[in-house]
Amino acid sequence: MKRILIVDDSFYMRTMLKNMLTDAGYEVVGEAPNGQTALELAKETKPDLITLDVILPDNTGLDVLKGIKAEQPDMKVIIVSAVGQEVIVNEAIENGALSYIVKPFSEEKVLETVNKVLEGNGKN
Amino acid sequence: MKSREQEYKEIFIAEALEYYDALNRHISELERKPQDDQVLAEIFRLLHNLKANAKAIGYLQISDVSHKLETAFSLIRNKELNFSDEVVTVLFDGIDLLGDLINNIDNDSFGEADPVLLRNLDIIVDSLSDSTIELAKVQKYNTSRNLSLSDLIYIQIKKLDHLLNLVGELMIDRDRILSISRELENDDLKSVSSHLYRITEELQYSVMDARLVAIGSLFNKFPRIVRDIAVAEKKEVNIELSGQDIQIDRNILQIITDSLLHLVRNAITHGIEKPEERIKKEKPREGQISLTARSDRDNVIIRLTDDGKGIDLKQVKKAAVDRHLLSAAVANELPDIEALSFLFEPGFSLAKEVTEFSGRGVGLDVVKNAIDSIGGRISVDSVKGKGTTLTLQLPTSIAVKGALLFEVDEIFYAIPLMHTESVVSLDKDELHEVGDVLVANIKGETITVAYLHELLNAKETAMRLGDKTKLKGQVQDIIIVSYNNRKLGLIVDKLYRQQDIVVKPLSKPLDKIDLYGGVTLLGTGKVCLVLDVPAITRYFTNRR
Repeated sequence: MKRILIVDDSFYMRTMLKNMLTDAGYEVVGEAPNGQTALELAKETKPDLITLDVILPDNTGLDVLKGIKAEQPDMKVIIVSAVGQEVIVNEAIENGALSYIVKPFSEEKVLETVNKVLEGNGKN
Repeated sequence: MKSREQEYKEIFIAEALEYYDALNRHISELERKPQDDQVLAEIFRLLHNLKANAKAIGYLQISDVSHKLETAFSLIRNKELNFSDEVVTVLFDGIDLLGDLINNIDNDSFGEADPVLLRNLDIIVDSLSDSTIELAKVQKYNTSRNLSLSDLIYIQIKKLDHLLNLVGELMIDRDRILSISRELENDDLKSVSSHLYRITEELQYSVMDARLVAIGSLFNKFPRIVRDIAVAEKKEVNIELSGQDIQIDRNILQIITDSLLHLVRNAITHGIEKPEERIKKEKPREGQISLTARSDRDNVIIRLTDDGKGIDLKQVKKAAVDRHLLSAAVANELPDIEALSFLFEPGFSLAKEVTEFSGRGVGLDVVKNAIDSIGGRISVDSVKGKGTTLTLQLPTSIAVKGALLFEVDEIFYAIPLMHTESVVSLDKDELHEVGDVLVANIKGETITVAYLHELLNAKETAMRLGDKTKLKGQVQDIIIVSYNNRKLGLIVDKLYRQQDIVVKPLSKPLDKIDLYGGVTLLGTGKVCLVLDVPAITRYFTNRR
């Protein structure tokens, strides 16, 4: 079972994502509401994939992404953002994020993106 | 079962209200420090989340207003818009509107948002810095509104605990005054004390009422929990709830929370079968659990039913024999209902394996102890192959209990009504000496009967509970108590009446005597000991 870490400061968003992912047979190994916890959980749980919200209370998603990549260069990260944040998303992709999901997201879109990234050979 | 939509909605509203409160705090802060980047970033984040969440769940008006405010704040952040007084007013109004929208999600009569305010927001967002001139002409939202405080307050439970204790003390004094006024035959005192009686009674019920919470606050957590356990156990389970509106003392609910969680886990891990197995047994693929609550006079009855594999009585009896709790011969003749009682014995578990969710070594005895501690009862009923039902009978309130008062050797005692089944009078000749106890046939059942005078007063070494010659008089008054499906008759000297009592814990050194559960003071000023029925029943079970 593929293991996923969810990073999002909204409990509502985390719950939706978690339900969608667990329903599809993924294991959600952790939920981080801020950047600090995200970095700790990424190290601790070593997930197969991280979904990362770009706006977090303590630091930006971009900083968190760089922090994760510095420790675990092969970690697969999907950016979760809202409309109007294309600049940040682009920057995240340049910094090693493999794909992105735009809020509000549909279950199909989430699963499609997650499946695709997890099925990739992880060379990115 | 509460739908996932309902769950999402509840989470959305709770989080949105949190965001709304935080927005109010931060915008006041911003008024004092207009260019504080951190505060601006935080406001931006809160609005951003609110927008995204509202859009996801489909509250488009909330998402629209959040979006406008978010844009306005990002303009302020980029110094494209001044945080002037006029702008501040509109932003405050906008945040108030968000609060109104969130609070009125379920209110169909809540109309559209004030168009003037929406227009003001548009002006700020669209026309940038020269907007203030236009704004002054149109802004008029809610300026005449009164400040309103919430009708609800939060109160620490320990303050209510204290209040209830004081009421308990007051009731004891009240009963004492009532009794003195009867002795003194003073009409004025009688009238005052009967008024005092009514007031105290009303006070008692008001305080008890203030501590009541809807049982739904616990029940509603279960759909999610059931889902998680079912997924981990690779089972398909649906839970149905009813009676969420039933009210119960908050501390009682707190005490049974872990127990109920344990029972639900058990039902899924040990009760409900895997889908393949269910299909083989011609049961619906999806297992069914129902959790119901209902009121029954002063009690709340919680019932947990599953349609799983049920409890194998043969296995229970075998386990009881293996653990030397009873002999094989006795086990064969044991009625089903008594066999099931063994499930509540300490350390008695039929589970062969420990799973993530069923916990380790915690058996039904722990659940039983929790229920006992609040004076409740638990019983189990099961049909092999069909399923299991657990019934919890709980008092609505902890402090005051209905009790039956009686006298033994000129001392007053009380037994909580929760444990009394009936009261019978038997002729001495209907009692039979069997071994070292007395037994009687009461309504077709053979019941062990104990002479309380001997049990409570004789030294352990000289105690002769099976000796009829100790009995006084020909006709014996017997209170039938029951605990864990086991009945026991207690012979008393004199029966009094039923009364609500306030049970106080025993102080040292009496607290070591485990036949007593507490003490209460009667109106006459006399001390009355409250018998601990579980302890007395256990005493006899251990002798057997």
